[in-house]
Amino acid sequence: MNFYKILAAAVLTTSLGLLVWQSPTIAADKAQAVQKKNKKALDKNTPVVDPKAIELKPQKPENPSNPSPVLEVSKLIDQEINKKLKEAKLIPSPQADDAEFLRRAYLDITGVIPSASKTREFLESKDPNKRAKLIDELIDSKGFGNRLGDIWANLMYPQDSDNRLTPKAPIREWMAKSFNEGKHWDVMTWELITATGEAEKVPEVTYIMANKGVDKLTDSVGKLFLGVQIQCAQCHNHPFTHWKQTEYWGLAQFFYKVDIQAARNANQAANITPGVSELNRPGRSRNNPLPESAKNVPAKLLGAETVKLPPTEPYRPVLATWMTRPDNPFLAKAMVNRLWWQYFGRGLVNPVDDMSDENSPSHPELLAALTKEFVKSGFDVKHMVRCLTNSEAYQRTSKPNESNKDDNELYSHQNIKVLTGEQLYDSLVSITGGDNDRPMAKGLVRGLPNSNRDRFAQFFLGTDNALPTDYEAGIPQALRLMNGPMLSQQRMVTASQRIVGKKTSPSEVVDALYLATLNRHPSDEEMKKVTTFLSKANDTRSAYADILWTLLNTAEFTLNR
Amino acid sequence: MFPFNSLSEKSRREFLRLTSAGVFGVSASGWLGTLAHAAGSTTPANPKAKAKACILIWLDGGASHKDMWDLKPESKGAGEFKPIKTTAPGIEISEHLPGYASLMKYGALIRGMSTAEGAHPRAKYNMHTGYREGQGGVVYPSIGSIVAKEVGKTEFPLPNFVSIGNRSFGAGFLGPKYQPLIVTDPARGVEGLSATVGEGQFEKRVNLLQELEASFYHDYQADNINDHKTTYARAVTLMKSKESKAFDLSQESAKTKQAYGTSKFAEGVLMARRLVETGIPFVEVTLGGWDTHQDNFTRVKNLSATLDKAVSALINDLKDRGLLESTLVITMGEFGRTPNINNRGANPGRDHYPRAWSLCMMGGGVKGGYVHGRTDKEGAVVEEGKTNAQDFLATVCTLMGIDYTKENETGTKRPIRIVDKAGKPVKEIIA
Repeated sequence: MNFYKILAAAVLTTSLGLLVWQSPTIAADKAQAVQKKNKKALDKNTPVVDPKAIELKPQKPENPSNPSPVLEVSKLIDQEINKKLKEAKLIPSPQADDAEFLRRAYLDITGVIPSASKTREFLESKDPNKRAKLIDELIDSKGFGNRLGDIWANLMYPQDSDNRLTPKAPIREWMAKSFNEGKHWDVMTWELITATGEAEKVPEVTYIMANKGVDKLTDSVGKLFLGVQIQCAQCHNHPFTHWKQTEYWGLAQFFYKVDIQAARNANQAANITPGVSELNRPGRSRNNPLPESAKNVPAKLLGAETVKLPPTEPYRPVLATWMTRPDNPFLAKAMVNRLWWQYFGRGLVNPVDDMSDENSPSHPELLAALTKEFVKSGFDVKHMVRCLTNSEAYQRTSKPNESNKDDNELYSHQNIKVLTGEQLYDSLVSITGGDNDRPMAKGLVRGLPNSNRDRFAQFFLGTDNALPTDYEAGIPQALRLMNGPMLSQQRMVTASQRIVGKKTSPSEVVDALYLATLNRHPSDEEMKKVTTFLSKANDTRSAYADILWTLLNTAEFTLNR
Repeated sequence: MFPFNSLSEKSRREFLRLTSAGVFGVSASGWLGTLAHAAGSTTPANPKAKAKACILIWLDGGASHKDMWDLKPESKGAGEFKPIKTTAPGIEISEHLPGYASLMKYGALIRGMSTAEGAHPRAKYNMHTGYREGQGGVVYPSIGSIVAKEVGKTEFPLPNFVSIGNRSFGAGFLGPKYQPLIVTDPARGVEGLSATVGEGQFEKRVNLLQELEASFYHDYQADNINDHKTTYARAVTLMKSKESKAFDLSQESAKTKQAYGTSKFAEGVLMARRLVETGIPFVEVTLGGWDTHQDNFTRVKNLSATLDKAVSALINDLKDRGLLESTLVITMGEFGRTPNINNRGANPGRDHYPRAWSLCMMGGGVKGGYVHGRTDKEGAVVEEGKTNAQDFLATVCTLMGIDYTKENETGTKRPIRIVDKAGKPVKEIIA
């Protein structure tokens, strides 16, 4: 008996109200009897068919990739941005210096600060193309996918009691690997939306598992892939936008046959093979009780036609086909806005996942042009990142001038972003060493934070919908940084010794400490302050540790300027 | 409604920045007062509210109402425990809660609790937030975070919500500023509250930090730089403050410790008194182990003893210090337990039961010696005074002078009421 049959048997057994797990064989026998008895009940659960519904044949995307030259797209970005700045009579800030650019590119693209030696090398290089080359190097490094994997895993994995036994690591690693392989967004979307199978073999099913229940899955797919918040329409017609309850439950219909197999408590973990299947018969899976308001709603593509669902085939591929077609009005635009948000500190539309007619973009033409380019490239994420980061707008200093200091949405100067928990952890560990674990969860482990990195990141995790520029840490986070094990005296002594090496001249020592942490040379004023501090110290070794501790606790370290 | 809608994004951020910058002397209440007035809002908040602080004693796992607050000696699933008289005429509770019984004239019972969730995590979420998990795609704040936001003082050096022995539920869409400070082991105090180096060395580091921070903000002027500075200033202030001694149980006499008991829970309850005394408006203390599917009677008896000793010592202590009127003490779990005794295993127990259960409130303006709601002869169905999670939270808010109809905004500017529309406070319980 294969996995899916076991699942189906389990489903029917539990639909009888027997919540206790039974052996698959007994379950299957009972299931047959039940199936007959419940035939009528099942028919009642068959989705409503709208006479005007269209048919849509499932088709995995094969969108051609014809990207425009990167510099052409970057130039277009700058034209649009500069046009708005001129209209607003704002003088843009100049380009960032090499140090500012280097640290920003490292943090934004790979999620970690550069090493001291890389910093030195980049600052000393006279190559006029060194920025573009660095961008290429970073996009091709493993850090590229790791960073996106961290961002997406947090988005895809809501904090929720129903998924507490589903590990987060598999989806993070799958996303990281896919982004690193250069898998295009349409294909990733298809694979995530239609994912079926055992979690150990098909790790992308953990996205579905982490959003257990039709309502959660509908909310999540709406926000992450379509860039729209339709969750309010779950309970009432949306007061601010045109989304109606029928849109919500129409979209939700595509997830009704999703069946999640996951342990409900730690005792069951040993007996259950976690995974996702799709019923091969009409009806709804046991995970999905229906509210009254949803019962007579036909399947409907968001803002578009109603669809005839194939009763004995999986429903999700129908939705994924529509989502990943080049003319889909949501998918590309949502991803472009999300990437812009990541690299510029806010979306062209904010909140980033609330794109609607009522919420207009700051730069509508730019958003349209980038969306078009993203589709033209065949949904190539690496290409889009290259275009964004090669623009002058991206490479501007975040230091405002008198004319533009009140601007925070026209990109007259870069936004200063706050390091995420993952960025902060990886950057600290790159200096202090040790514990840089990104463990791949094997089998079913508890989904609670299970590594030092996860625990640290969890502790610093901000709210949904916060901008990357929002500083959300509070007293507990500050206490943990100042007095926690990450920056213990012993670690500070060891790390500062490693950074300083054989240098003895105070100015060289201070320079080395600045390069390793803030990735720049100290200003004259800073040099004076810190060498004065050094000169007063009785124990230089301990003073090095003090300086390192101090630099790691500065706003500048915690922020991405 | 909170008048964020009428402010531009810039001024909203400015407002948040200023209120979070309380350490520099901006009084948050002043701001809130002015803005609320400007918006012409009417508040049904209880102006006579007496409670300034709340201690939530959380009986994790769901405590058996029939073996504690609502005994039914004549019923089928009566169990082993006998009811005893209390200082409130007509109210009887379990023989294993003699301390509570002696203080019942200061408190009230709600025997009409009837809620919707029967699984632990969802029920805990529901009872802490008043909302059902996943409802409308929002993560709702727990009552501790709501109190921290609505009555907490931003200029206060301590966090406004402390959870002892449990991570509890967090601030949800209100954001990390209102997250609880978690104390895992009361004997060890707060994690990271003392420096890993000597005081002199720490002082030197902090001074250097201040010196080096100045130019960055001067040049770059972003709000988040200032926020970082403020947060660190508050953390350092906390480390040095005399208020942080509230976390240090060694300041208590042996006699007091004796009165509360020696368990971790008792230490947590004692710490809660110290925290409330210092001015923290919300403290949650967890006593786990109430999920008594098996061996219900031995376990509830033992747990009751631990609970009763610590909480009755707390109530007496608060009373002696003149703090009982201004401190609301709630004893509750996520649901009750089945009126019938199950027949699994050698030592039977009771299973989850949200349909009818009880909780206890004392002090903080609660009408003493009062019972709200009544269950049937089995303790299985609420016959009168049905109270759900929303009603309960509206009651707590009202006792604390919080307008439970007020709307806070999520990150997407979606207004969310503190308590959902269906909730109405139990007015009868308020003195």
